[in-house]
Amino acid sequence: MSSLNNDRSTYWRSLDELARNDYFRRQLENEFPGQESDEDLPSSVSRRRFLQLLGASAALAGMTACRWEDEKILPYAARPDGTEPGAARHFASMMELGGVAQPLLVTSRDGRPNKVEGNPDHPMVRGSSSVFAQALMLGLCDPERSKNPRRRDGEAAGWAEFSAFLADRLAALGGQQGRGLAILADLSSSPTMARLRREILAKFPAARFVQSAPVDRANEIEGSRLAYGRELRSIFRLEAARRIVSLDCDLFGLHPDAQRLSRDWARGRDPKREMNRLYAIESGYSTTGACADHRLQLKPSRALAFLSAVESVLAGGEATGLGKDEAEFASALARDLAAHAGAALIAVGRHLPAGVHALAHRLNERLGAPGKTVDYIAEPDRGDQDLKGLVAQMSSGAIDTLLILGANPVYASPAALEFAAALAKVPHSVHLGLHHDETARAATWHLPMAHDLECWGDALAWDGSLVVAQPLIAPLYDGRSAIEVVALLAGEERPGRELVRTTWSQGHGSDDRAWRHLIHDGFDKDGAARIETAKLRDFDPMTANAAPTGAFELVFQPSPAVWDGRFANNGWLQELPDFMSKLTWDNALMMAAADADRLELTTGSMVRLKRGERQLDCAVYVMPGQAPGTLGLALGYGRREAGNVGGSLSREIGAPGFDAYAIQEASGAALAAVVVEKIDGCHELAATQSHHAIDEIGMKGREERLGQLIREADLEEYEKHPDFARHVVHHPELESLWKSPLPEDGKRWGMAIDLNKCVGCNACVVGCQAENNIPVVGKADVLKGREMHWIRIDRYFRGDIAAPEVVQQPVACQHCENAPCEQVCPVAATMHSHEGLNDMVYNRCVGTRYCANNCPYKVRRFNFFNYHKELKEAKNESLKMAFNPEVTVRARGVMEKCTYCVQRIASARQESRNSGRPIADGDIVSACQQACPSEAIVFGDLNDRDAAVRHLHEDSRSYALLEELNVKPRTQYLARVRNPNPELAKDKS
Amino acid sequence: MSSSLAGVQDNTIEDPTTRPTLVLGQNDFASVTDKVCRIAERGGATRAWKIAFTASVATTLMLFGMIVYLISTGVGVWGNNNPVGWAWPIVNFVFWVGIGHAGTLISAILYLFRQRWRTSINRFAEAMTIFAVICALVFPGIHVGRPWLAWWLFPLPYPQNMWPNFRSPLLWDVFAVGTYFTVSLLFWYVGLIPDIATIRDRATTKIRRVLYGFFALGWRGSHRHWHRYEVAYMILAALATPLVLSVHSVVSFDFATSQLPGWHTTIFPPYFVAGAIFSGFAMVLTLMIPCRTIFGMQDLVTMRHLENMCRILLATGMMVGYAYSIEFFIAWYSGNPYEGFTFLNRAFGPYAWAYWIMVSCNVVAPQFFWFKKIRTTPWMMVVVAIFVNIGMWFERFVITVTSLSRDFLPSSWAYFKPTTIDILTFTGSFGLFFSLFLLFCRFLPVVAISEVKAVMPQAHPHHHDDHQAHAEEARA
Repeated sequence: MSSLNNDRSTYWRSLDELARNDYFRRQLENEFPGQESDEDLPSSVSRRRFLQLLGASAALAGMTACRWEDEKILPYAARPDGTEPGAARHFASMMELGGVAQPLLVTSRDGRPNKVEGNPDHPMVRGSSSVFAQALMLGLCDPERSKNPRRRDGEAAGWAEFSAFLADRLAALGGQQGRGLAILADLSSSPTMARLRREILAKFPAARFVQSAPVDRANEIEGSRLAYGRELRSIFRLEAARRIVSLDCDLFGLHPDAQRLSRDWARGRDPKREMNRLYAIESGYSTTGACADHRLQLKPSRALAFLSAVESVLAGGEATGLGKDEAEFASALARDLAAHAGAALIAVGRHLPAGVHALAHRLNERLGAPGKTVDYIAEPDRGDQDLKGLVAQMSSGAIDTLLILGANPVYASPAALEFAAALAKVPHSVHLGLHHDETARAATWHLPMAHDLECWGDALAWDGSLVVAQPLIAPLYDGRSAIEVVALLAGEERPGRELVRTTWSQGHGSDDRAWRHLIHDGFDKDGAARIETAKLRDFDPMTANAAPTGAFELVFQPSPAVWDGRFANNGWLQELPDFMSKLTWDNALMMAAADADRLELTTGSMVRLKRGERQLDCAVYVMPGQAPGTLGLALGYGRREAGNVGGSLSREIGAPGFDAYAIQEASGAALAAVVVEKIDGCHELAATQSHHAIDEIGMKGREERLGQLIREADLEEYEKHPDFARHVVHHPELESLWKSPLPEDGKRWGMAIDLNKCVGCNACVVGCQAENNIPVVGKADVLKGREMHWIRIDRYFRGDIAAPEVVQQPVACQHCENAPCEQVCPVAATMHSHEGLNDMVYNRCVGTRYCANNCPYKVRRFNFFNYHKELKEAKNESLKMAFNPEVTVRARGVMEKCTYCVQRIASARQESRNSGRPIADGDIVSACQQACPSEAIVFGDLNDRDAAVRHLHEDSRSYALLEELNVKPRTQYLARVRNPNPELAKDKS
Repeated sequence: MSSSLAGVQDNTIEDPTTRPTLVLGQNDFASVTDKVCRIAERGGATRAWKIAFTASVATTLMLFGMIVYLISTGVGVWGNNNPVGWAWPIVNFVFWVGIGHAGTLISAILYLFRQRWRTSINRFAEAMTIFAVICALVFPGIHVGRPWLAWWLFPLPYPQNMWPNFRSPLLWDVFAVGTYFTVSLLFWYVGLIPDIATIRDRATTKIRRVLYGFFALGWRGSHRHWHRYEVAYMILAALATPLVLSVHSVVSFDFATSQLPGWHTTIFPPYFVAGAIFSGFAMVLTLMIPCRTIFGMQDLVTMRHLENMCRILLATGMMVGYAYSIEFFIAWYSGNPYEGFTFLNRAFGPYAWAYWIMVSCNVVAPQFFWFKKIRTTPWMMVVVAIFVNIGMWFERFVITVTSLSRDFLPSSWAYFKPTTIDILTFTGSFGLFFSLFLLFCRFLPVVAISEVKAVMPQAHPHHHDDHQAHAEEARA
């Protein structure tokens, strides 16, 4: 050591230098350190060689662009150039439901998806969306999603093990051309899935590849085959239709094209122009029936008779085979349709038998609908859909290896099919799913599936255009998409992006620019399917009229909240009030009041449904306007292994609702004849609006004020008094004691809600919940009346309980200029902004609830508990991702309410200040407005003379709710105008 | 009870020619002092007192338990829901504030009007006032969503530079109830000083001497002391008098200034004040009748006192009844459909049971006081008074809950159901009330000794010859 310390006066760079050893000396002498020999020097490269390398480098540099793009999606550890932290970016994507793509536009902040909207460019949605799309974010963040592959014996395994297992099985089965191999996938129109299916079936000709879901459109397709001999899809052009007949078809609710249909219908509801007229003939209420100008209650088994009667009247005959009222309705309807030939159409619900569909096609032809109000496109290739056949094979032991991709047939298939028993006979079964659900627990392998927002995909929209999905985030857990797993079978272990692009390039070549456009737009702009012309065949609709008849006809509908059960673990959807019954956290058996009286049942009574040997105990909901002798029950409830929200037997968490699959026929038919027996017991149903247990006084009081709250008139009356809505309530001149402190110039935010357009689809409710971080409170608190939704859709029945009229009214904070809530808050936690917003200062609020008491609209919501408690648990970390970072998450004990999406106003203001461009009308869209498919909600600046909202406020139909209180609400409603058929209206009076 | 009264003169007879005697029996100044002080001096607490106190403290502890649970969990532990933002806690608050009315009314207003019969009951009533207001004050504090921030309701200069909203009646409430409590407490305490000094002077142990001495503030009974005492008492009475009217008027503003049908009524301030006096006197009766028996004070708190209170109950009960009917009349006469509905709904809707309990207890029950027999039979008075207590709680329930449960938009109507926590919290507040009350009975003079002495015949300078003279005049 002493040698190292002998010279204290010099600085040293390394121990070698300090020691001045040989290595250091050699380095010092070497001109190019690091190159130990002369051979490495550039001088050894000839000029020719150098030029060769130079050329190759230049050429290969370009080649980097030819590689597949790197798929890595990484969190922001460092800020990449050109990105703004926290700024919203938007990416087009897609979700698929029932084999139809819903085009989406997803907002992403800092690399995380945040809010889902409809793709504004896609003609199908035009920026609007469904409740399912709105709730997608929570599905992504569900902390109970399956996180890794595992075998049934409980051992966690990896994808590598699975690949090995699969290779092993394929090797074993490959020799027999794939005999014993079966794949059961969810219904999908994905071209990639179709391509891979063809490849697999080419490779393993004896294998089975079934695509099936409990909610399908088999009857509809069968109907078109009967009528036209081909599988055709009807695209309704409601914008061109003046007379619309919905025969148990929920055009605005459960229809795959509901967003476009709602919009087109609503555009035809402006009484200043020619209004369309909507007839609904149905057993139970649908959103369409609630909007209809005329509604007839009809048993599903009578649908064909009804249409035949219409046909016979159209042909100049009499309406025969119907009851008196039905016949009158059918005749008036037929005459009205005939008078509007070429501008009329008939739509038939998916659960009605094929014969009814076929007959509707024939009537549409007769009315001159094709090419005008109905277009036909070819139904996309659906492949094998024979689930029943597959189950038979499974039971017989013919299936050795079964892959279930993205489906949950152990729960979501008719109990009569006995899928679980059949699955037990399959030696090797694999389940790919988002959750470790019923099927996952019964299969020998479970694989986590990537969520719609985590993977690449493609599918066809209702109009046949290709929609692609791009991931917004790398899979949170170790998930893969169904196409990626199918690709494993086809022998290509490739990422989803390559699979989708390969499919696309088969039709479009390898044009990179076009591909980028496709991803950017989210769909193929020129890709709408060709309009087909087809010739009607001669057929007898009676041959396909397998509607069961009995004392009670039960209709199985997909739930408007949880669909076939796949969204059962989504709290937003479970707590979404049903559009008609306003039930949350449950499905119930919809029953007519007359039947309920006869069986001595009330809402909440338990009954036993029997169909053959099958039975189901469920609660009754007495639904006004339900056709006597018919029942309605939504699918998707009573899950056995959905999770903490949707219920789990293994964790002893009771499931919301009743499992309708338990009594469904093996064929999965949506209609069944059942017997109803009263049993003991009662089930508490949590409705956000209670209507049945109402006393005489309350009923009378409601009737009296209804006309003032929801103002409506017939078209005839409107034409005589266009400003009828302004003369409903008589009150003295509304004066103020003082001058309004609000400045006259600047922005004056306001909203208009057109009751003539609102279909009550609930998209606004979930859209608002997703945007504004609104908590889910659970069934117990909904029962206590503590739901938190900032916007609710009030629904009232008017008139006779057997055949009422329905009115709906979305109500959120009205942002009163003279707000009663502001005056009573002792701590000034709710104040008026200079732009007229009624602001809530959460961190100032102490929670006296005085404001809520004094709010005449009862739109204020109180955090009775800490509804975000579960976020404290480490396992729920992912839930935090579902929150909008722009909106405060409210604490316990704090009041909250609609803010007119103040965060959107603020960000538009920021953008306007940065760019110097003033905020234009339409720049700010509230979350409810954005989600609304029927364009019923309009937000904007009332000081802007050209703003749409200003025009609507000035419309003769506009009125302020409870304006006589002089609170000067900023939201105004446009009165509803019905367009009844004079012939039928006369009958009624 | 009756045995002690037997043979004693009946001072309930209305004879305009003579002033009724307010202290009965063979009492002189010394015996009055002795009778009252003995209660506070009893060497050890009686067995009955111990049992009652233990029960009350246990109930109070339950109240504290409920409060801890509430604060740690959230307001959701109560039955409050979306339309019914205010329910039991506010009902309880108004109930207790109302009870807290009688004391100051008796002390201040009756004092100013020279109603000499108040002297035997004022101490008692004032103590009840203080304790009732303490119970009342528990509720607004814990009722808010974030009780740890309830101090924001006070106008304090603090760094956020944020003042409360002076337009809010809830803020006026803070001032009104706060002032009322302060003045009532001072009034009570000032009145207590001479009597505390008496107990101090009679004290046999050092600790009593020191403690009572401390609170007696050096009272020596000099003329100067008495002079200042009388002035201070008069000033406080003058201060307290408007407060009697203001506090419940302001409480009623919480309701009256809002625009909820059923709350938005101009009749509320006088109606609430009448109701408060009604409930306060009912509570005084409920407590005083057993106490005077237990402590043997029938000579001091005489039948005449009780009868007078029954008369006040009868009068205020009819005022309340008038208010009920005029509310209905105005609801109809105004032609306001929402208000009309609210009142029909109150009487015949889902809460009709509560409404009719209220009417029977508050309007029908006091009518029994038309009968002198009932006005002079202590147990019957207690029964009626308890009915009035129940009725007045229901009055606040009817006003608060039924109006909220069905207001403008029928979509938001909901029925309120209390939870166990609601019930236990309310019960607990009685525990607090009785704990304080029992402590008062045990340690402080329950009757204002000095004041009672002033209304005794002996206090009159011409007491002895007066009688003689009158008798002779009459004979002549």
